[in-house]
Amino acid sequence: MESHRIIGGGGLGLSEAGPSATHHQHHHHVPTYGVLHGINTTNPSTLINEGHAFNFGELEEAIVLQGVKGRNDEGKAPLFTTAAAPPRPAATLDMFPSWPIRFHQTSRGGSKSGGESTDSALSTKTEPPFEAESPMSKKATTPSSLDHHDASRIIGPSSSSQAKSPHEKRKGAGSTSEKPLDAKTLRRLAQNREAARKSRLRKKAYVQQLESSRLKLTQLEQDLQRARSQGLFMDCGGVGGNLSSGAAMFDMEYARWLEEEQRVMGELRNGLQAPLSDGEMRGIVDGYLSHYDELFRLKAVAAKSDVFHLINGMWTSQAERCFLWIGGFRPSDLITMLIQQLEPLAEQQIMGMYGLRHSSQQAEDALSQGLDQLQQSLVDTIAGGPIVDGVQQMVVAMGKLANLEGFVRQADNLRQQTLHQLCRLLTVRQAARCFIVIGEYYGRLRALSSLWASRPRETLMSDDNNSCQTTTDLQMVQPSHHHHHHNHHHFPSF
Amino acid sequence: MHYQTASWGSYVAPSRSNAMVGVGGDPLERIERLASENAVVIFSISSCCMCHAIKRLFCGMGVNPAVHELDEDPSGKDLERALIRLLGTSSVVPVVFIGGKLVGTMDRVMACHINGTLVPLLKEAGALWL
Repeated sequence: MESHRIIGGGGLGLSEAGPSATHHQHHHHVPTYGVLHGINTTNPSTLINEGHAFNFGELEEAIVLQGVKGRNDEGKAPLFTTAAAPPRPAATLDMFPSWPIRFHQTSRGGSKSGGESTDSALSTKTEPPFEAESPMSKKATTPSSLDHHDASRIIGPSSSSQAKSPHEKRKGAGSTSEKPLDAKTLRRLAQNREAARKSRLRKKAYVQQLESSRLKLTQLEQDLQRARSQGLFMDCGGVGGNLSSGAAMFDMEYARWLEEEQRVMGELRNGLQAPLSDGEMRGIVDGYLSHYDELFRLKAVAAKSDVFHLINGMWTSQAERCFLWIGGFRPSDLITMLIQQLEPLAEQQIMGMYGLRHSSQQAEDALSQGLDQLQQSLVDTIAGGPIVDGVQQMVVAMGKLANLEGFVRQADNLRQQTLHQLCRLLTVRQAARCFIVIGEYYGRLRALSSLWASRPRETLMSDDNNSCQTTTDLQMVQPSHHHHHHNHHHFPSF
Repeated sequence: MHYQTASWGSYVAPSRSNAMVGVGGDPLERIERLASENAVVIFSISSCCMCHAIKRLFCGMGVNPAVHELDEDPSGKDLERALIRLLGTSSVVPVVFIGGKLVGTMDRVMACHINGTLVPLLKEAGALWL
């Protein structure tokens, strides 16, 4: 498109383009060079003028070098075929007549092209002083904004516009092309290059910083979302809003565990689809088991520092918390779900699953009864006895509370053993499917919690009859229902 | 399962004179003896809730274990110390012996139950029928 403009307008057309548009196009349109042929005033000075707006160092150097080399550069060759013409600043190309080009306002000034004479030429030849900034100049005020290649691009459009007003004072470029390079010029060129490069690097660093901040922000938002879905913020009434350090640590690690869970689930799914060999699937299934082993290890550590956090389930999602049994899932319930979802199973396997469920139920009952006795004993200790004995009472009570950790440990142990036994009962592929089902099941519970937590709540004024008006689904939840969340510790399992 | 009664027999300390009647001998020996007296023997502490849980577990399975409450035994402390040495951990109760052989603490018992080895063991020791 740019070509059209150039050709059509004899270079003037470029002014029609929007600044940025043209600006960008300048970088990519080599064809414009061809146009330059026909343009008489291919005055390197103008090129330099424009170039300095962008990346002066490169442009200038390019021009200078070309001048020195006799202009045998590829893209730039055509530009300079006519560059032999003596610099005519007045007649230099004004490719952007509407954008007066700032000449003196960049740090490098406009005087560096070629030799001293060029300098003076450039700096003084400004006929029409550059009042406003050309958009391109503007863009180039952060000198790093353009790359090397801009130089050549700029030259194109630059030269393409016919010389209108002597905006360019770069006639010195013309002379530049004829002057030999000297040390001073070389040094100046090098400095320019260096400065341009540094600016580019700065800009890149800044952009990278922005990018990483953006990523961090997204990450924070996700964490917030997850924490909210787990009711950490919504349900502070039950906890007091303050997490102990052990609890906070565990929550963090659990969040990471959940992310890892996604990865392992993906492995399982992929392994089943792209049918891997049994040996390979075994490895993946074992990986899933290790993943859960890791969770139980984390919970063991957390139980030492804050067993109440595990028991009241604040670390898990609300729906999961609803079915909590001694700080985690109830294995027999899980097996019941699996027996239904994993069909078809061989007769022997079904028997094994039922047997596993039975054993688990017995163990669960035993642990529950033990915990009941602990609770009773605690109540007796706290409630009974004269106040005189207060401290002693507390000491005894503390000793009894310490047993809680043991129960959580045993419950987790039961969960762990159950998962391992499941693995033994099933074939490798069945085990993989089984774990996928488990993962999806809890994933759905978590999603349900999330949805529930973010449902729109309408406070209905008077009608407070606790009836669950589910007709319009989530919209009609009575405010009284909200408070039930706080009472989950009344569930009989504990 | 890890310890044979024979090995205990080799550990015979000079008999300490225990004031208690019928107690005689080294604690480990006594444990060994007690363990072989019944098909299922549990060493427990009456106030321990985990012990209560394990008792409930066996009763729930229809097993009638012989329970020795260490806090109700005069030389309970010695027995406890011996058990600690035997098991290598400080939380020794509850500890279960089946058919005279050591099974372990709650951890092991539950693992055995889940992986299906507990019931055959009980049957073998005659603690369970069918």
